[in-house]
Amino acid sequence: MALLTGKRVLSAAVMTIAFASPISAQSLTQDEALTLAFQDAQLERRTAFLDDEQVARASTLAGPDVEVESTVVSYYVATRGGEPVGVAYFDVHRVRTLPQVVMLVVGTDNRVGRVETVSFREPPEYRAPDGWLEQFHGRELDGELSLKGAIANITGATLTSGAVTRATRRVLALHAVIDPFGAEVHDAEAHDADAHDADAGDLTANRR
Amino acid sequence: MMRLVLSCRVTIALTALLISLAPVHELHAQDADSVRLAELESRIEAVTRELERMQLGRDVVEADSSIQGLGPAASKVYRVNQGVSLGGYGEFLYENFAANREDGSGSGARNQADALRVVLYVGYKFNDRLLFNSEIEIEHAKESFLEFAYLDYRLTDQVGIRGGLLLAPLGLVNELHEPPIFLGTERPLTENRIIPTTWRENGIGLFGSGDAFSWRLYVMNSFNGTKFTAGGLRGGRQKGAKALAEDMGVAARFDYTGTPGLILGVSGYTGETAQGQELANQPVGGRVSIWDVHLDYKKRGWDVRGVVAGAQVSDVTAMNSLIGLEGASGIGSNMLGWYLQAGYDLLRTSASTHQLIPYLRFEKVNTQRGVAAGFSASPANDLTVTSIGAAWRPVTQVIAKLGYQIHSTAANTGVNQLNASLGWLF
Repeated sequence: MALLTGKRVLSAAVMTIAFASPISAQSLTQDEALTLAFQDAQLERRTAFLDDEQVARASTLAGPDVEVESTVVSYYVATRGGEPVGVAYFDVHRVRTLPQVVMLVVGTDNRVGRVETVSFREPPEYRAPDGWLEQFHGRELDGELSLKGAIANITGATLTSGAVTRATRRVLALHAVIDPFGAEVHDAEAHDADAHDADAGDLTANRR
Repeated sequence: MMRLVLSCRVTIALTALLISLAPVHELHAQDADSVRLAELESRIEAVTRELERMQLGRDVVEADSSIQGLGPAASKVYRVNQGVSLGGYGEFLYENFAANREDGSGSGARNQADALRVVLYVGYKFNDRLLFNSEIEIEHAKESFLEFAYLDYRLTDQVGIRGGLLLAPLGLVNELHEPPIFLGTERPLTENRIIPTTWRENGIGLFGSGDAFSWRLYVMNSFNGTKFTAGGLRGGRQKGAKALAEDMGVAARFDYTGTPGLILGVSGYTGETAQGQELANQPVGGRVSIWDVHLDYKKRGWDVRGVVAGAQVSDVTAMNSLIGLEGASGIGSNMLGWYLQAGYDLLRTSASTHQLIPYLRFEKVNTQRGVAAGFSASPANDLTVTSIGAAWRPVTQVIAKLGYQIHSTAANTGVNQLNASLGWLF
């Protein structure tokens, strides 16, 4: 009887492994992440080329422990009916040894709208849970956006929590310098259709 | 004259031709500039896309496609770059003991400086389903241990199977024992004598997590109960080294993690520990059951944690006979320990990365709360420890601690100590 029970347990274990549902993978593609964030919105890929002064300003805004080095920043502006609804940035950074890619969506109010782990190559137990990432929603670039402030650490994954928090500060600082909604807001105010191309520092290109 | 007229006509004709051609030439030049500008923009766009692809990784940027006959989503797990992940932690500890016990007699304790542990994590991710993770430790500068080493296979997004040398999933410190994570220069005694950190055994099990919880369920080789003492279960750990596996144990844990910064959970373990030994031709069980309730809260500068843990040992009389323990040296049949600890970051509102956290921990542990009939409990195993100190973190991964511990026992044999430690994690 005990043997029969043992066989059943073994069979159940084998069946579980054999027919385990495919995992959705810890990685999203960029397209999947953008679709999650904006669904049916129109997306426009833009690239900002920052000069030294702009990088220095972003670095100051980001804070003392946040590296801001890149002078070429690509981002994705989402619009519905011609009105901007948000902008997505992709930030890549090292967690322990291996890199993590997160997508940060900033709303037209310049606050964090969404943080999504796009790619995480360290062991999954160090990955930031979705519930923890929700802490960033609605945050702006201030002193509370810190592990010393309103963001709780992840016990057992302190490297991840530090990396995501720094990435969020970095993106919001770059966002403030790039000001991707500036042209659109002015457009809406001035009803000037030509102002769509006015962002002199940017090279714009249609993504879809 | 004729030549002059001809020359004038030619000049007029050339001028007229030039005038008529000029707008066309300018238009052609403008068209050429536009083409060149468009081409330049196209090239810059291509370069920035390639730059983005290099930064984010091809598995992130490139469109879905099928690999090994699997659908795009299923193929993705095989597209992730493989890679070795390295990390580590360690701590140095200086202990300065009081010259006298609490009853005034000489303590005989000698001050000590110890390279307590230096640990290297090595992991390898084969794909999104399968990974290896390990921790190799050198203790006291000369003793090497395998602290854990396991293979994980993810069955679904929420559930995985794990096998190898596993950390018993009990308490707060056993699985998360990096020095920058906990306050106090030394680990709590409750998680040393009742939950014998770092407790690891060979086994296999399931692990999982959801939006607001995580859990683990392992089957592991049990303790070797013939190594238990009156001071607790610590000596019974087999640490994965040719471990006796006549008796197996089951360990389980459930944590609520739905509130960022909070871990609230329970864990337990049960298993016989005599490992096939007999007494007068009769098998001995020596079942050990351990339970704990734990809380950890870290937010807005606060660092609060508490643990209550207990253990029950059956067949204690027989186990004591097997080991040859008598009187007050017998294994406790009932053990209980708890601690509560709180700290607050005084630099929370400063702009710097530094943290300065004074803390207080109060702890009681009794490894002979109950003893078998015919045995007595040593009051020296009924301890109360009050720890007061401060921790300085220049960054979250590095910590320096200074603390004073007031030890008291029911036998008045406590020896106070001043500790200083350095810890790191990367």
